[in-house]
Amino acid sequence: MSNKKFEIISLTMRYWFIGLIVFISLRIFMEAFKTKQEQSYNEEGPFGHIIFFLAVFLSSAYMLLAYNNPIGFEKYTAILGLIISLGFVVQYNLFRLIFPRIDRLLLIIVDTLTIFGFIMLYRFNADLAISQIKYFLLGNAGFLFFIIFTHRIRIGEKLSYILMALACILLLLPILFGKETYGAKNWISIKGHSLQPSEFTKIILVFVFACWFRKDRKLLEHLPALVFAGIAVLLVVLQKDLGAALLYFYIFIFVYYVATSDWIITLLAGSAASLGGIISYHIFSHIRVRIEAWKNPWRDIENKGYQIAHSLIAISSGGLIGIGLGLGSPQVVPAFKTDFIFATICEEFGIITGFCIIGLYAMIVIRGVSIALKNADPYKSLLAFGATVALTLQAFTIIGGVIKMIPLTGVTMPFVSYGGSSMVASLALIGVLEGVAISAEDYEDVDNDVHEKGDQAFLEGEYE
Amino acid sequence: MKGIEQNIKKALIVLLVAFGFLAAYYCYILFFYSDRWFANSYNPRVRMDAWDPKTVPGDIKDRNGRLLASTIKERRQNPDTKQEQTYYYRSYLGGGQQAESISHVVGYNNAKYGRSGVEALQVRYLMGHNNPFFEKIYQKIFLDKEIGNTIHLTIDIDLQQYIHELLGKYKGSVVAMDGQTGEILAMVSHPSFNPNNLVEDLTGDVLVSRATEGLYIPGSIFKILVSASALENMEDVVSSNFDCQGTYRIGSQDISCYGGEAHGHVDLTKAMVVSCNGSFADIGTKLGNEKLLKTAVAFGFNQEFIFPDLKLAASRLPLKTNTSEEKLALTSIGQGDVQVTPLHIAMIASAIANDGVMMEPKLVYKVIGRTGQSQKSVKPKVYRRPMNQENAETMRTMMEDVVSQGTGKAAAIKGKQVAGKTGTAEVKTKDSEIRNNAWFIGFVPGSKSNIAVAVVIEDLPSGQTGGKVAAPLAGKILKKALDLGY
Repeated sequence: MSNKKFEIISLTMRYWFIGLIVFISLRIFMEAFKTKQEQSYNEEGPFGHIIFFLAVFLSSAYMLLAYNNPIGFEKYTAILGLIISLGFVVQYNLFRLIFPRIDRLLLIIVDTLTIFGFIMLYRFNADLAISQIKYFLLGNAGFLFFIIFTHRIRIGEKLSYILMALACILLLLPILFGKETYGAKNWISIKGHSLQPSEFTKIILVFVFACWFRKDRKLLEHLPALVFAGIAVLLVVLQKDLGAALLYFYIFIFVYYVATSDWIITLLAGSAASLGGIISYHIFSHIRVRIEAWKNPWRDIENKGYQIAHSLIAISSGGLIGIGLGLGSPQVVPAFKTDFIFATICEEFGIITGFCIIGLYAMIVIRGVSIALKNADPYKSLLAFGATVALTLQAFTIIGGVIKMIPLTGVTMPFVSYGGSSMVASLALIGVLEGVAISAEDYEDVDNDVHEKGDQAFLEGEYE
Repeated sequence: MKGIEQNIKKALIVLLVAFGFLAAYYCYILFFYSDRWFANSYNPRVRMDAWDPKTVPGDIKDRNGRLLASTIKERRQNPDTKQEQTYYYRSYLGGGQQAESISHVVGYNNAKYGRSGVEALQVRYLMGHNNPFFEKIYQKIFLDKEIGNTIHLTIDIDLQQYIHELLGKYKGSVVAMDGQTGEILAMVSHPSFNPNNLVEDLTGDVLVSRATEGLYIPGSIFKILVSASALENMEDVVSSNFDCQGTYRIGSQDISCYGGEAHGHVDLTKAMVVSCNGSFADIGTKLGNEKLLKTAVAFGFNQEFIFPDLKLAASRLPLKTNTSEEKLALTSIGQGDVQVTPLHIAMIASAIANDGVMMEPKLVYKVIGRTGQSQKSVKPKVYRRPMNQENAETMRTMMEDVVSQGTGKAAAIKGKQVAGKTGTAEVKTKDSEIRNNAWFIGFVPGSKSNIAVAVVIEDLPSGQTGGKVAAPLAGKILKKALDLGY
């Protein structure tokens, strides 16, 4: 009968969760539009730090999940929840203290999304959550590294050639050594650990584009970067990783247009991509299947439409405030811990929560773009913008696919989906954003600061 | 640098619009479709397990409280565990052959074959998913098994069974509805199946609910829409005349009247009464594609019907601004590519009966919770207002003449004024043989509920017209409905 007890508690706690989620989201939405100066004064708000509410959210969810087993209350889960919550508070404050000029709200949004992931993954399977926590810790190391890297080091053209070569090698690995999963060949396995190189290549793309397009040049002088963009997209197409191809294309076209205002190449690339899409629709059967499933998933619900249909059924089963954590049937939805995690969150936490999550990604857009705008250095500005596009359009692509707005392409939901590569790469991109954020006012000093200039000259191999 | 800043601002707008669109689409699609998706037969969350179900589905009753479907408990040996256990299954209308009359409406809920009909679409109520929070908690604490809620349908089982027996061996469908409220009193599809005994019956098209999913060529029934459009758009149409010579030629298309009969000089009422094809082909081509299409859309053609109580296939009128006159003429007499469902035609009939107001069709009368409290009751809702009151009245008089002196005489009821329209649609079978679909739609003006009925009998040999086959059936059905007090 402990099962019934859990059901009753979970049903009751729905109201607590939805209240917390809406409150946290509203706080974030309100803060997102404030300028940095206002933020540093008001950030604590009338009810204290947002991070505190996040900690409460996570620990109460884990407290509830502690009841979700036949033996009754499991202390281990509850304590784990408290430790993780504490971890988040420490992580947030640590970064805040080390980098006083960091965009704190961005960090809060990332933590919120990660916490959704931790709760759902623990609810599926405790081991998944434990690995995800490890990935998050690893990701934080990457986060720290990229803040400093972005702040301190400028990538020059020469260094960028090395990065391009590295990216190509990374993308070739799965084609040569990978195994096919879900129709795509985008994984390699090293000593039992699976890696998805296309996730990491995203970061290189952002750096390379920022480096090449920061200056007004003639078209031909951009050529190495343009060729590199083409090769990168081609390689992920060869991996049959449609989602990554689309994302690389987005990053390229946004950063390129923003930097150069060059309609001709933008339109050319756009039409080349559409042409490529149409051709691949006719060549590859798996793309046709995707499109058919998108148009009408209900026609062939047992095969082609299975994923999307079950995702939609799951989303609609939740109602406004959800079935209750632990009471849904996520296992019915395919890839419920990675690509379709949004559907399972909607089922157990409700439609309102889904809406809040879409809003949180939109707030990353706002914060990311404002960081890009605040930095007068075109290189840093483009870096921040590229990272924002990479993160948010990935979220847009997968959520749009899961709710049948656009055809489904398998990309992960940044910070929420299970997976080490995705978590580390997404945190690295946030690291890039924060790195730009903390160096907002440095640019004017560059010319006067001999030491820093020497640094750059060494790394860039040329003087600006 | 200035350029970059401005471009980033432009890109910000693009990104925010994308996310705004995502959020809007998310809300829109869940608002309109989430009930249907939830009710999908493949949703395992609301599956009724035969052995040890968590929730026992509630009963389905008719509007007068007669039991249509219920859950039966029985001790049986479980083939998996080899033990005596309680076995749960759904029983319809007492478990016998009689259940055939309501099978397409009520549907089935079967461990093996999934769900359909009301059993599928209203599963939210039947499985108690709509229960308020405290009710859910109460059931979890105090009840051994949670129980669902009882649904009362708007169907009157007496009328439903009467129609079912009346149709006999015919293939086809009948819908009878309350024109004022949109409540469906009877909805019959033939051939039918016995939901108590699904195994043997799962062949052919018996599972198709013809009333809501069957797309039929309307034939002369469509002239009602042409008239409605003409009344709306052509000022002198009531007084203008047409000279019918038996055949009307437009372009390369010959349109002849039934039996090649020449009707001579006819006005709109006369054309309707004798169902003169030439006149309506002429009116239709004069109206033009756009105006006819506009009226049809106002009546619900080419629209996705999203009703909370039932699924209804979209009726099709594939007219475009550049559709040829030949095709338009054919369409105007209801041939060509026009397709309608019987329920939609019944809605059109009841809109005319109801002064031009089309009501949303209703199938759920009320939902009763565990303790007897009403959780939901039918609230009439206007779906569309396709025509004004004056034109509806003109249409009504014309349709009364059809029954009193024209092709629909067989539908007349002694002492009552009946309005109606016959139709005979020609359908080519696979062996390019021509078969008839016989139509009659009608209503009793001034009856208590403005009862409207649509009858279609399909696959008849030539010579069996709407006036000969469908009209007498409709007359009997209307009479029965009046006797029952509607």
